[in-house]
Amino acid sequence: MASELQDPSGVYDYTEGSSSYPGEQQPLRSRRVSSQDSNQNYPQFNWNPEEDEEGDSGLPRELRSIPLPMSLKRAVRQVQQMKVPVVSRAESWKRKKTRSLRKLKDNSKEVLDAFTLWKKTLQKIGGNFGSGVHSYFLFLRFLVVLNFVSFFLIAGFVLAPSIVFRYVDSSLDNSNGPAECLEYNPNPKVTVFYQYFLDLLSGTGFMEYSYLFYGYYYNKVVANEDVTYNIPLAYVLTAVFYFAFCLICIIARMGANARVAVATGGHTIGEYSMIVFTGWDYSCLRDRDTKLKQKNIHYRLQVDLEEERLKKRAAALTLSRKVLLYSLRTFLHLVAFGLIMGAFYGIFLAADFSQKNTTEKGILGLFYEYLPSIVITAGNFLVPMLCDQIALIEKYSPSTTVIVALLRAVFLRLVSLAVLLFTLWRQITCDGNIEEAGCKLCQYNYNVYPCWETRIGQEMYKLTLFDLLINIAVLVLVEFPRRMVVDKCSCKLTQWVGRQEFVVPSNVLGLVYGQAVVWTGTLFCPLLPLINTIKFIILFYCKKITLFYNCRPAHRTFRSTTSTFFFLVVLLFGWGLATVVMVYSLSEIRPSLSCGPFRLFPNMWSVVPSSFYSLSETTQEFLFFIGSQSFSIPLFALSCVVMCYFIALASVYGKSVALLRTQLKLEGRDKQFLVKQIEQLGRQLHIPTHSAGCLLPVWLNYFLSASCVTSPETVSFDRSGFSRR
Amino acid sequence: MGTTASQIGKDRLAEYQELTFLTKQEILLAHKKFSELLTKDERDLQNIRVPMETILTLQELKSNPFRNRICHVFSTSDIKNGSLTFEDFLDLLSAFSDSATLEIKSHYAFRIFDFDDDGTLDCGDLEKLVNCLTGETDDTRLTSEEMRQLISNILEESDIDKDGTVNLSEFQHVISRSPDFVSSFKIVL
Repeated sequence: MASELQDPSGVYDYTEGSSSYPGEQQPLRSRRVSSQDSNQNYPQFNWNPEEDEEGDSGLPRELRSIPLPMSLKRAVRQVQQMKVPVVSRAESWKRKKTRSLRKLKDNSKEVLDAFTLWKKTLQKIGGNFGSGVHSYFLFLRFLVVLNFVSFFLIAGFVLAPSIVFRYVDSSLDNSNGPAECLEYNPNPKVTVFYQYFLDLLSGTGFMEYSYLFYGYYYNKVVANEDVTYNIPLAYVLTAVFYFAFCLICIIARMGANARVAVATGGHTIGEYSMIVFTGWDYSCLRDRDTKLKQKNIHYRLQVDLEEERLKKRAAALTLSRKVLLYSLRTFLHLVAFGLIMGAFYGIFLAADFSQKNTTEKGILGLFYEYLPSIVITAGNFLVPMLCDQIALIEKYSPSTTVIVALLRAVFLRLVSLAVLLFTLWRQITCDGNIEEAGCKLCQYNYNVYPCWETRIGQEMYKLTLFDLLINIAVLVLVEFPRRMVVDKCSCKLTQWVGRQEFVVPSNVLGLVYGQAVVWTGTLFCPLLPLINTIKFIILFYCKKITLFYNCRPAHRTFRSTTSTFFFLVVLLFGWGLATVVMVYSLSEIRPSLSCGPFRLFPNMWSVVPSSFYSLSETTQEFLFFIGSQSFSIPLFALSCVVMCYFIALASVYGKSVALLRTQLKLEGRDKQFLVKQIEQLGRQLHIPTHSAGCLLPVWLNYFLSASCVTSPETVSFDRSGFSRR
Repeated sequence: MGTTASQIGKDRLAEYQELTFLTKQEILLAHKKFSELLTKDERDLQNIRVPMETILTLQELKSNPFRNRICHVFSTSDIKNGSLTFEDFLDLLSAFSDSATLEIKSHYAFRIFDFDDDGTLDCGDLEKLVNCLTGETDDTRLTSEEMRQLISNILEESDIDKDGTVNLSEFQHVISRSPDFVSSFKIVL
């Protein structure tokens, strides 16, 4: 068995024990072979692992990672089992443990796989619509799980204790402030029968004074016989920890993606090879998908080749034309910026108007309440469309166009949310001027907002709900009819419009926006993560239905992993905005005197220092030490040193890669030189060039790997092997 | 005709689990699908070899442009007709499975792309590869000018030792920089 494998004309040499690519340690002898000599395309398997420089520590190479057919793998296993090396008892015990640990890992992986949410659906989506759409649904699933888990955090530390202690002790500590500030009557009489429905949609009425909003929570420290639970402290620390937890989850998920994205560098390195070698998706199941994928790849290659030609042409542009192009681009950037600013001003006006007319009742009142959301949604729909038209004139390369459009849309979405919040802040703090008449008494605008935190919570709640309703409405009223029209009516206009395409970037922005709203609102509406989980689950099924029934696969695909990284970066922007809002609310604005857990405190954060002093002496000293300079400065210096080390290491690696590349090039040239010499010699000795050419690379590579070049006359052309005399 | 472990045999199943990247469920599913390709009398025979045309009726391979090459690469037949035994089929699924390593996938991808089986990817191999990727019909092929530009770009990017061909190490070097390869080189029954 061994002899038939030791075929010297074996194409692929495989050395045991190499954890890196076998090609790196592969002797050059296996580079090339003529087809008539290779009767078995089997890797040449190295039966003697002791020859290997990188001797494995002891565990035989995993059998399944050997690229051999099954029968040969069995033979390898038999040989491995026969060759029982002499090991100490500790060594063999260690090996057994490793093997059983691996089995345990495999089994647990199988079990966990069964619990993965929506696994089959996602596989089906990926197979039929490509990796771009697949990455959108993966992102959505990640957000669902994140919201669900963080809800448990809040439920465990804030909600459950509040419910429990409310039954135990229902008295409240009232603050001693001016009487006007303490007025808060959130249960007006129900006047019309559909008031319940309106209240559900806007979070007022029966919904306002409930666990949903901040105003309902206790402000006292519940102290039973042996259990003390400081609810205000729990509220603040849970909110802070919730943000930290979300940040850690996002960064953990970015971790693997970031490593790959940084390692591959920019997209210009190896772009064509990447498309050709890795571009095909083997999970395409139907003829239609295959044809589509082929069209896709064809389109990509054409576009990239065209882009390259354009770049070459652009580099040859005259100076005047370049100046013209850049000034045109600057002008269009300003136009886009102006459009976005116009949208912001519209949102600002709408929010102002809505806040001023909160006393309206009925349907008109509901309309006024939802006015900011309506304007934001309209802006988010119109402005990107207009920016797309602008992008057509800007003449960037296709990849740059997509990124510019995305960045503009992200900017629009997140800053429109910020504008809304800014308007609210203006009204709560009387334009930031605490000394003004309306705000002087309680340091916030108590007339309009007896309980301002609940108000902000309500705004965020309305935004979330409205987002979901709009998505369902668009699905029912726009996408299904569009498909029906396109399918039934075959006139030119409908065919030109065509079926819906599932555009990944704008859908992802919708998710990021929704999540940013939830983050901003959680401090004031603790049940919002749960509502968001339900919303995203409904959204998942809606998007899935529209994908399968109404959409055709996209013409341009999105590169999946770099785009996942981009989605997470954008999500971080939203997180950053929400953190700014949270930090500001915790520290700067006075909490309402009439509701909520913080009515006794000058600001929400002050509950932490005041309960800090109730900790034990040693804990206090320890925490002081961590915050002091004698700890932080050495820590900072140490992190600088570590960073410098890694930067130096990275530069050394880069230099050695460049060095190895040059070495490879030189070796290739040596080989070509020697081939020419051999051909000359062959001609001189009248050996037919064909057979000489067959053997040459094998023979030659042996020489090169031995790194010793002798004159050709000392070599014999022996077919069964090679020898040097 | 259910898919019970007794059909394959417990120790055989454990052996397959050790020698491939497939889980127990996947091996049983593969056995079921493979048996469906056989006629009633063939099912009882051991080591039956299924011709390539029958294998290509599988839904997962039917529309794959590389289906012929895949069958040739994984086939252990002496006459090189692309026929597969059940164990070849398992090898195929193992290389294309979720948990297979990058080395295995890149190794087999290289062999699939090597249309003339000479151990390197030269211009002819690359041209056939690109035609498979874009479709064989006239309106989906690249023009010869574009093809030339593309192949010269590919060789410039991947051929490190400048010998005019891409060998296994250079191929694996390109693959290692792609973040999508492992997830796209997948066939799941």
